Amino acid sequence: MIRAVGLATLLAAAPLAAAAHSLVVFASVDCDAVTVEAKFSNGKVAQKGEVRVLDGENSLLTTLQLESDGTVHIPLSSVDHSQGLVIEVDTGGHDNYWIVTPEDIARKCGS
Amino acid sequence: MKRHIVFAALAGTVAVTPALAHYGMIIPNDPMISQEDGRSLSLTMSFSHPFEMDGMMLEKPEAFTVTHEGATTDLLGDLQDATVMDDQGYTLDFPLERPGTYIFAMEPKPYWEPAEDAFIIHYTKTYVTAYGDDEGWDTELGLKTEIVPLSKPFGLWEHNVFQGIVKMDGEPVPYAEVEVEFFNDGASATAPDELMITQTVKADADGVFTYAAPSDGWWGFAALNTADYTLPQDGEEKAVELGAVIWVHFEEWTGQ
Repeated sequence: MIRAVGLATLLAAAPLAAAAHSLVVFASVDCDAVTVEAKFSNGKVAQKGEVRVLDGENSLLTTLQLESDGTVHIPLSSVDHSQGLVIEVDTGGHDNYWIVTPEDIARKCGS
Repeated sequence: MKRHIVFAALAGTVAVTPALAHYGMIIPNDPMISQEDGRSLSLTMSFSHPFEMDGMMLEKPEAFTVTHEGATTDLLGDLQDATVMDDQGYTLDFPLERPGTYIFAMEPKPYWEPAEDAFIIHYTKTYVTAYGDDEGWDTELGLKTEIVPLSKPFGLWEHNVFQGIVKMDGEPVPYAEVEVEFFNDGASATAPDELMITQTVKADADGVFTYAAPSDGWWGFAALNTADYTLPQDGEEKAVELGAVIWVHFEEWTGQ
């Protein structure tokens, strides 16, 4: 479970979504990987952006780049996801985040 | 004596013509589900007089669906019996797997209303957005009759206007009458006159209507038209009132 302190810190640090069109970040999960999707609120995919993967205590685990289709895959075996993951996406002008909870992983993985 | 009779007759007339408007209702626990809210939502379905919090029998609907990203899924079998406003209603817990707008729609069975000598069918829908993604908020479902939103049907401040187009068989209904009623959950609102319980606005020549909600909360819009068909009741053909109902939540203004 993501620790409350870490989550609270993250929420406090999370900047307000930029006006006009915000960035929508979502991550789905299965037993193998987390699939991150980023698009703008006008429906266009974010073609470039930095993806920061943090653990449940807000420690940076890895940094990736969005693919041109606005997605990126993170193999679960490559990160310590025992306390959940925080996925931050920063396109330069916009940023947002999604929290993958341990329950999300368990629900999809049937464990 | 004569005056007494007149008064009694008047009272009788008033008593048999209550100003209660019927509404199909689909009310989610939250119209805007964020990731912090969890991964599902709860819906409560009823047929009622929402201002008076007076429930009526809602039989198992003819259809209950959700539409998301262009795909419509049948949820009729997932409805759970529930008592809503002291009468038969339904609840549903629905998992939200992806972001976007989810449109829940209910087609009830025809409701025979002896007082109106007509059947009532209210095609009812409510839009819910998940995880910060409002794509699909203006979706038209293609129901027999429906209100297609011109204002985003969530994320409205109190006092904002809500606009929609009244449609029947996919075509705008010029000058359609739209009844508006507040879901008086908690019964905090009182009406100084019966006329204030259900308000009425008319659409323009293009079927577009506008209403500004005076407070936060759930507001129901029901565009009522007579069907181009009848249904049998006690050996007679009876008129059918078709309602296009949409429920919209207005949020409390947080500024000074």
